Amino acid sequence: MAVYKQTYKPYRGAITVVRWRFAILTRYAFKSAFESRLLTSFYVLCFIPPVVAAGLMYVRYNAEAIAQLGLNGGDLIPINGLFFNMLFRIQTAMAFMLVTFIGPGLVSPDLANNALSVYLSKPVSRREYVIGKLGVLLILTSLITWIPGLILFALQTDLAGWQWFWDNSRIAVAIFTGAWLWIVTISLLSLAASAWFKWKPLAAASMLGLFLVAAGFGAFANEVLEPERQWGLLLNMSTVIAMIFDWLFEGIRQRGNVPSWTALASLATLCFASVYLLHVKIRACEVVR
Amino acid sequence: MAAAERLVMFDNVSKFYGEALGVNRVTLALEPGITSIVGPNGAGKTTLMNLMTGLLRPTRGAIRVLGILPSDSERIFQRVGYCTQFDFFPKGVNGYDLIHSMLCVHGYERSEAEAMTWGAIEKVGMTAAAHGKVAGYSKGMRQRIKLALAIAHEPTVMLLDEPLNGLDPMARAEVIEFFRQWAAAGMHVIISSHILHEVDIISDRVVMMSNGYVVAEGDIQGVRSEMEDHPMQILIRCDRPSLVASQVFQQDSVVEVKILERGEGLLVSTRNADQFYSLLNRIILDNRISVEAIAPADENVHSVYQYLIGNSGGSAS
Repeated sequence: MAVYKQTYKPYRGAITVVRWRFAILTRYAFKSAFESRLLTSFYVLCFIPPVVAAGLMYVRYNAEAIAQLGLNGGDLIPINGLFFNMLFRIQTAMAFMLVTFIGPGLVSPDLANNALSVYLSKPVSRREYVIGKLGVLLILTSLITWIPGLILFALQTDLAGWQWFWDNSRIAVAIFTGAWLWIVTISLLSLAASAWFKWKPLAAASMLGLFLVAAGFGAFANEVLEPERQWGLLLNMSTVIAMIFDWLFEGIRQRGNVPSWTALASLATLCFASVYLLHVKIRACEVVR
Repeated sequence: MAAAERLVMFDNVSKFYGEALGVNRVTLALEPGITSIVGPNGAGKTTLMNLMTGLLRPTRGAIRVLGILPSDSERIFQRVGYCTQFDFFPKGVNGYDLIHSMLCVHGYERSEAEAMTWGAIEKVGMTAAAHGKVAGYSKGMRQRIKLALAIAHEPTVMLLDEPLNGLDPMARAEVIEFFRQWAAAGMHVIISSHILHEVDIISDRVVMMSNGYVVAEGDIQGVRSEMEDHPMQILIRCDRPSLVASQVFQQDSVVEVKILERGEGLLVSTRNADQFYSLLNRIILDNRISVEAIAPADENVHSVYQYLIGNSGGSAS
């Protein structure tokens, strides 16, 4: 048997910090996501509602502009919780469409090509892989939801003064909290769909299907059973997020006799289910029994 | 350096996939050098490699690679390079980007990663095709880029699952030369292979597996000498084979003597090789026989594989 003297010296130079390595996966996911012109165009469209909202705010506090438009102050939309609530419903709908477009393409190609073993035989854990992929969704949706929301809130404070800020500070909390609840939920859901179905169009369809079918089932249950509390609302994700926004922005604590905190529980359940699906599917070696 | 930090160690390791057996009661201590894991399909070779890298967790037992637990992915993958047997790659990626991005995942700065990427790509002779999509590569090119991916971060332990598959003869020779160089520098090169004649040429030791069990382990001569129920075959080429045949048959330990056609020599089967060699020396000297060659005929991986695993194994060549 050969006896070898160890002359080999492995690399001993500096390496980057472990906790941010997942960002490399995010960076490459960004690159592939924006290869689509359709996505880029849609993403630009997502910034129009905040720009329009900023315009409305500016006009409201600019007497010269009001006069030039031939309006009086009473004709203009008041800038309050309802205003931000409505704006956010538009932005969350856009965030959902964005996530439905990008999310299914993040994990499914790796699974379909059995490429997870390539990633996971490097110093990256399953959790870091998911966080890396999730990162692209959270960054893109943040840029169209809570970040412009807080900028608009700051703009309104600048235009209306600090008294408006103190009177409406819950709006800032609502923007931040509501947006994160929504974008985390839909991002996890889209990754789970992407991991489960392995085929991008099917994963995207499953996202839409979940929202439409579950909403239809909830409405049907409410119609047929006519319960005292319309629990079926909790199966309709757009209603669920609307309940949370009503609660956060305007303090409305129930809808259809269903308390708003149950909407939070509904989102939490969806998140846990998504994490479980990812836990099951994101593995280097798929064991076929 | 402590001995355990030089070795790849399996301590009574078992892996079950539900009811199905992956590997069972594997105990090994692999030294630096070229180790080949051989066995038929389903023997547990890939399971063993996946266990070493932490991609699978053992059901029972413990594994340490250079003293590191495979579950410590950050430390283990800085020291281990793994080349899987399957051509799996992220969709749409090109060869350069694949290796560069994975080096960034390893923690190398971009400029450092760039230099290391080109280094690995040059080693496997893929410079010209580095910016081509991996999906468009030939089988041999994909094999080379996988090797580059495994070696790019300069690991100490190389786990190569069927690394010679799909390579043309020239590329095989080059890759085998790499294995030798790495082993000579004191690295572990652990290869799973079906190609027994190449395993025979390059390996310092073999691990033979069948149905999830290690059936033999060690350098091939050592393994062969342990197999007492299979007489050792010795090929003798000389000018008077029939005389030698008649003389050696007088010894009890010789169980078979065959004179080969077309002057290819004499094939002797003996249960005691040392005793036989002593006798042969005497016969040669006493009878002034001119000897062209004396060599063990079945002291190779192929023969040992046939004896231990035989036809139940199947597909090794």
